[in-house]
Amino acid sequence: MAFYENVFTQVQVQPKSPETGEGVGDANLARERFGKPILSYWAGFIGNAQIGPIYLGGLGIASVLCGFIAIEIIGLNMLASVHWSPIEFMRQLPWLALEPPLPKHGIKAFPPLAEGGWWLMAGFFLTMSMLLWTARVYRRAVQLGLSTHMAWAFLSAIWLFLCMGFFQPLMLGRFSEGVPFGIFPHLDWTAAFSLRYGNLYYNPFHMLSIAFLYGAALLFAMHGATILSVGRYGGEREVEQIVYRGTAAERAALFWRWTMGYNASMESIHRWGWWCAVLCPLTGGIGILLSGTVVDNWYLWAVQHNIAPSYPHVFPATVDPAATGVPQ
Amino acid sequence: MKTTALLLGGVATALIGTALIFTPGWNLHRVHTVQTGFRGLSVGEMSTVKTDALRKAANALPDAIDPAEAGGKKATEVYKNVQVLTDLSAAQLDRVMLGFAAWVGGENGCNTCHNPDNLADDTPYQKRVARTMIKMTRHINKDWQPHVLQTGVTCYTCHRGQPVPNGVWFNEAPMTKGAATNNRGMGHPAAAANGYTAMQTVPFSGILDGKDPVRFQQTKALVEGPGPSIQTTEKSYSLMMAISYGLGVNCTYCHSSRAFYSWSEGNPLRVNAWQGINLVRDLNANFMAPLQAEWPKERLGPTGDGPKLYCMTCHQGAPKPLLGAQLAKDWTELGGVAAK
Amino acid sequence: MAMLNFEKKYRVRGGTLLGGDLFDFWVGPFYVGFFGVTTLIFTVLGVSMIAYGTAMDHVWNLFQINIAPPDLKYGLGLAPLKQGGIWQIVTVCALGAFGSWALREVEICRKLGIGYHVPIAFGFAIFAYTVLVVFRPVLMGAWGYGFPYGILSHLDWVSNTGYQYLHFHYNPAHMLAITFFFTNCLALAMHGAVIVSAANPRRGVKVRQTEYEDWFFRDVVGYSIGTLGIHRLGMFLAVSAAFWSAMCILISGPFWTKGWPEWWNWWLNLPIWR
Repeated sequence: MAFYENVFTQVQVQPKSPETGEGVGDANLARERFGKPILSYWAGFIGNAQIGPIYLGGLGIASVLCGFIAIEIIGLNMLASVHWSPIEFMRQLPWLALEPPLPKHGIKAFPPLAEGGWWLMAGFFLTMSMLLWTARVYRRAVQLGLSTHMAWAFLSAIWLFLCMGFFQPLMLGRFSEGVPFGIFPHLDWTAAFSLRYGNLYYNPFHMLSIAFLYGAALLFAMHGATILSVGRYGGEREVEQIVYRGTAAERAALFWRWTMGYNASMESIHRWGWWCAVLCPLTGGIGILLSGTVVDNWYLWAVQHNIAPSYPHVFPATVDPAATGVPQ
Repeated sequence: MKTTALLLGGVATALIGTALIFTPGWNLHRVHTVQTGFRGLSVGEMSTVKTDALRKAANALPDAIDPAEAGGKKATEVYKNVQVLTDLSAAQLDRVMLGFAAWVGGENGCNTCHNPDNLADDTPYQKRVARTMIKMTRHINKDWQPHVLQTGVTCYTCHRGQPVPNGVWFNEAPMTKGAATNNRGMGHPAAAANGYTAMQTVPFSGILDGKDPVRFQQTKALVEGPGPSIQTTEKSYSLMMAISYGLGVNCTYCHSSRAFYSWSEGNPLRVNAWQGINLVRDLNANFMAPLQAEWPKERLGPTGDGPKLYCMTCHQGAPKPLLGAQLAKDWTELGGVAAK
Repeated sequence: MAMLNFEKKYRVRGGTLLGGDLFDFWVGPFYVGFFGVTTLIFTVLGVSMIAYGTAMDHVWNLFQINIAPPDLKYGLGLAPLKQGGIWQIVTVCALGAFGSWALREVEICRKLGIGYHVPIAFGFAIFAYTVLVVFRPVLMGAWGYGFPYGILSHLDWVSNTGYQYLHFHYNPAHMLAITFFFTNCLALAMHGAVIVSAANPRRGVKVRQTEYEDWFFRDVVGYSIGTLGIHRLGMFLAVSAAFWSAMCILISGPFWTKGWPEWWNWWLNLPIWR
């Protein structure tokens, strides 16, 4: 391959003075940009070499603080669960948990700390951290004159997070149904949730969510690859291609038109991507909310709606021995 | 800088890669699957020559002991203080005792239970426990044929030559006092008991020594009232992990995973497993619990409870204990019955 | 109708891999090419076989379609048509159609003078499919290990396969794949958002040029990977998701037969804290 395939940056620009953001937004904003930018060869290998500065701002600081408190609560409780042994903490870390309240505490806002109080507190601070971050993203966009799509997309993720950890448990009247904090424990919760509600694969909103998740991978592979392939025509400067359509945008469009008979535009592909990514947690959250509140067994729901396939029986029919009172 | 980073990255990747590939447990043998459902459903048990050989070695049988005459003098006439095996002849009792020594004696043989200076002495707690165990064995062989069929059990089924069998369980240590979360026994690996997951480390409490339900899936599509919590669900899942490890099988051995609750979708073997759970409940309630006063301190769990049973205790990681060897038919003394 | 107003100058001859000028034409918006013809043949044959098999099962419901692979007893041989033979034909057709499609993409790339990134990325998806229905079944010695073709039935296969390893979430490669999928979704949302929001700025503000993408991301998270970088990252995340999905199922069975949670035992038993 003699020509440039755009996989890595071949010639890196190493400016004498990195951009500090002077002149972008008003002067007050520039003052709040924090940190001396550094130039990293490895970052520059695949993207921009410049790392930093970062905008702090009150919302950002508050968000990080809340996140820190949440992680402290989770981490210290985990450490306590191995009797404060740092070695056991590292050893068992993937298994360690901060479990939600006992079912008997219902939706009490202040159950005993040892029986779920910490979990509620960690959840509160983590949620606050995310919401403050959303506000920060929103404000930043407004101050830079951009629209606020990023903040709304992030809200969609928060929606799913809250559906699993707060809304569905709230509707069931038991915070015990929430997701435990922990690496393996949250995986156990996921599996148990599917088991409890009779197979989540049969939940149509779960199907949609997965389809959007895979769709997002498909779209980003298609879009990323397309832009890289027209990189030699400057296709990566997308906003400019949107406003003044260049040959890169034309070739990118024609590639898909010739391949599948349809093409997005340089602008609309980003709308496709945004919706696909945003709908993934949005539909997933609906699927969670309906479980246990409306539908108790998704498999049976699917059977009722003629969705479930039936397979030839390879065994003689078995009935529930508890129901027939067979001799023990 | 560049070279150092590259070197460090390379070394780290190589280390992690090597570590993952050379972690124990990977299989390089041809996998054989016994298909137990309709094609394309991916149900069945997997095995390799290695797992087969390991399982065979782990389930080697004890030496057979020649049968004894049922006639002749009664055991009670020859020996003092015979309380349970009163129906046996002296020759049969001798034979049974020979078996016990090999099955549960460990290194001490007869002296594990008996005072060598006075065989009739009831001081060793092991002897008093053994009486209950003999009753239990006969009870299983006679009354639990829905689970053990005619294969039956002997002491060896669980004990495998050792005074204390593998796979007994105790209630978990009392929850820590203080403000830190107690997590109700979740969040730690517990080998076979929770299948190395982070779910309940003792999923048996209340279920196998009580009447707590195992089932959690609802049999109506729509919600008709509050159902079991996720934490209850995880406990049952953890218990199923323990059953999986106890039997050395995966979930599809009994269940069709698309509808775990469904008996008609699953394998009929699930009925046997259901009987097994009832059997374990019966044994824990009526044989193990009454022994509570007999156990010395070192045989008790962290809350002072005596040892209890679950599937592993007999199955020891095999779908059928001792791979289904017909042991009990040779041991009518223990209530075993000949296969029809 | 078929052509965009700028399209005509791009519709040039040449660049084909096979067939020379024979199929070098367009039908409506579609480019045909030799591989377009083979794609069509494979697709029509494959879809017809699915319809045939479904009709034989008397299934008249899209969701209940189930074209199941053969029983394990047929090993790597051919199975009777009604006992998995249809699945085998459909699999060949699918592989043929996917491969043809990728090669057709290569031809289109050559025509347009652009890189081969799209067919390469598609190659990862084909690889993942091939792992599921060819590589893993071959390693385990029977076509019956492939997944059935059906909207719900393939989910039942996934479910059972997962529970054959007790708890599939503990599969380290599955963890990686999911992480890539989620990260990809996040990255796509962020990329889509920043472009749409820059091209459609606040009321009364001019379109925000490319530099603003960098400034927005630097302000928000302290780093902007840049216009080219985000597409490298996106493609990397997406193909990694496909690749590790393939890996997670390739190791399940051929190289690991126990419960996946047990795999993590090595961590618990590291010499430093054992």
